[in-house]
This record gives sequence, C-alpha cells and structure tokens, in this order.
Amino acid sequence: MKISGSYTVPASRERTYQLLQDPAVLAKCMPGTDHLDKVAEDEYEMKMKMAIASIGGLFTGKVRLADQNPPESFRLLVEGNGKIGFLKGEGLLNLIGQADSTEVNYKGDVQVGGTIASVGQRLLDTTSRMIIKKFFEKLAEAAVE
Amino acid sequence: MIAQNFEYSAPTTLVDALRLLSDGDAKALAGGMSLIPLMKLRLATPEQLVDLGRIAGLNYIRQDKDVIRIGATTTHYEVQSSALLRASCPLLVETANHIGDIQVRNRGTMGGSVAHADPAADYPASLLALEARVVLVSAKSEREMPISDFFVDTFTTALEPGELIREVIVPVEDPSAGTSYQKVLQVASGFAIVGIAARIRQSGGTVTFARMGVTGLAGKPYRAINVEQALEGTPGSPADIQKAAALVADGVEANSDLHASAHYRKHLAGVYTMRALAVASARTA
Repeated sequence: MKISGSYTVPASRERTYQLLQDPAVLAKCMPGTDHLDKVAEDEYEMKMKMAIASIGGLFTGKVRLADQNPPESFRLLVEGNGKIGFLKGEGLLNLIGQADSTEVNYKGDVQVGGTIASVGQRLLDTTSRMIIKKFFEKLAEAAVE
Repeated sequence: MIAQNFEYSAPTTLVDALRLLSDGDAKALAGGMSLIPLMKLRLATPEQLVDLGRIAGLNYIRQDKDVIRIGATTTHYEVQSSALLRASCPLLVETANHIGDIQVRNRGTMGGSVAHADPAADYPASLLALEARVVLVSAKSEREMPISDFFVDTFTTALEPGELIREVIVPVEDPSAGTSYQKVLQVASGFAIVGIAARIRQSGGTVTFARMGVTGLAGKPYRAINVEQALEGTPGSPADIQKAAALVADGVEANSDLHASAHYRKHLAGVYTMRALAVASARTA
C-alpha cells in the first residue's frame, strides 16, 4: 500500500528535523508507545499497545533511521509484529522550511499481513492515515513545548 | 474460529452495567454485529463482556415534544418498522432499510453502530443531516453533545472509557421537508462505499433549508456544509443541485480500498449527492 501526505509542524526546519530524530519524541508521538530502546546506532525497539475500534493488541516493533541528510530529508523504516498481524514500512521524509514552520512531506510503501490484512482490507487505508495524522498532531504539540 | 475465553455478564440495570464497565478492560456488547465477528477472528480479545441486551428501559422510540428519543439498544429493525419514525423522521427509517441484511438489522442496534463509528456505517450520514444529539452516561456523569462532536475520527468517538451511549435524539421532521438517503453498496459487507443523506425545505420556490450528511467517503462521516450553503437561497433547480453537489468532496481526503479508489469514491459522492438532493426535493411539500 502506497502512502503519502504532508503535515505542517510549527517549528523551524532544523528543530523539526531534530525532533524527528529524537527517540524520546518519537516514542511520545507514536500511538500506544511508552519508550524506544536503542539497539544500534539509529535503530530502536519498541512495544506498541494499539486499540482501534474493538481491535486491540500488543505489537513489538523496530524503527530505523537511515540516509540522514539534515535538515532536509531522511528515511524511516518501521516494522511491527503482533498476534493479529504484521506490518513493514519504509518512507522518505522531506522537510521544507516555511517562514515560521516546516512542511513535512512523506512518501512510502507499507505492507500489512496476517489476519488484520486479510479481513480488514476495507479499512487499512483509512486507519493508517488516522495513525499518521495522530503522529503529526503529537509532533506539532512537541514542537511548541 | 472460536473466540478467546472471556467473562460474560448480563446486568439487568444500566447502573449495574456502568459499574461493571467502570473497571478495566470490560467491553460493552450491544447487538454484537461488529464485535462478535472481530472476537471470532481474535482481532478483538476483551477479557470481560458486559451484555447490554437485558437492560430494561434502554430499548425505546418515543416522542418528547419536538424531538424523538431512541434508546441505545433499539435495533435497526425496530427503527425501520417504527410508525412514529415513519411519520416523524422518515430519513432514519429509510437509512435503517439500507443497513446490512435482515439478520444484521434484527440484532444490530442504534447505540452499537454509533459507538463503533465505522467510517462506512449508514446511520452517521443521516444523524449528521438531522443534527442529532447523543446522551452519554458513565457511573459518575451524564452529558449530551451534538453528533458532529461525537465522531472524532475513524473508529474514534468522544466516548470516554466506562462511558455508554444511552440514547440518540433526533428532531421531529418538519412536515414540509423532503429527505432521502442514497447509497452505493459494497455488496459483500453491506457497508456504504458512499452514503449520502439529504434534508431539504422549500418555500415560495426557494430552498430555505438544506442539510447533508456523508458517510463512506472520508475517515469519518461529515456534514457537507458547503453543499448546504450553495443550495440554500437558490430555486433548487436541477442545475442548482448539480452545482451544489459538485462541492461534496471538496477538500476531503477520500478513502481508497480494493472496492473503490479515492478518485472513484469522490465521483460517486458527487453523483449520489445529486440523486439524494433530487429525491429529497421531489418529496418536499
């Protein structure tokens, strides 16, 4: 599944880039995640507790940051596994500086498998967009803190 | 598949149900038309189910001055076959006719459907067009809010943990109003690819009032206020309807799945908005 979109973060490009590289900030912005454990340089493990509709579950996952080109762009690689399915995704984030904010453009590809994908097709797109929206809303909050 | 083990309770009063729901992971069971399939697939694994089906006094449709109050456990079939609603809120009856199949309509409930907040459910379009209100209760509090504030996002509502919908309140329809719900059905699931609810009043050859609700198109159901505004004050001619309907998906990030791409969904929304408005307009007195 291809995903793409754009969000505005109320902070300078340098600060936005820095926020997106900060494991404490990422943990705060990812729904259902308490903290990230560093397992290698720019690679973190996490536990996510998701609850959407009646569907809930614990996921273990990994986030990796790559191809860093501060403060312009980097690649974000995510994978997660849980009882109800798995997901693997990769996206390129591009930061465009505005007067007093930053436009973050993302473009990527996500694969979802397992039970959730076979029965939840109808809602994968809508639900993944909601999760990304929540992430950027939290990031915008973190930017003004 | 068989659901994971869970504890089951079937309280007979709302107070008992709210007490059971106030602690921990308990999940409310209404008609079970969404929850039970999810449990059987083990996508949902609640530890405790609180069945609302035996609570007396939660299943009713009654008029209270200029509004109609619908209890949370009222089934779609009961809405569909209510003489009171047929006479005083026909849009809701027409919408209930479109939900799922006869088995779903026999079991599924107003409160369950609204609380589940599936972005393609039928009721939300009509409830938005009706400017309905919901009454939410918990062990500690009771509050009422407009339905437009209730739907927050995909499967996300304003319900707090431990809170239940007690009733949905809709207005008694103006006798001169014309209403219609038009839907493109996804055949396998019965859910709306797009569903459009329209309410219109006309006076002296002018559209004086228009309300539009849209489901299935976006991450959450919404009121197409731009369509309403474009139509109000015009004669409501086919050309006026066409012009207003073209605005229905403006600025909306449309859903996309294997049944309909975002582009096609937006196209359908325009066409079905025209149809809903044309039918509603023809039904005005």
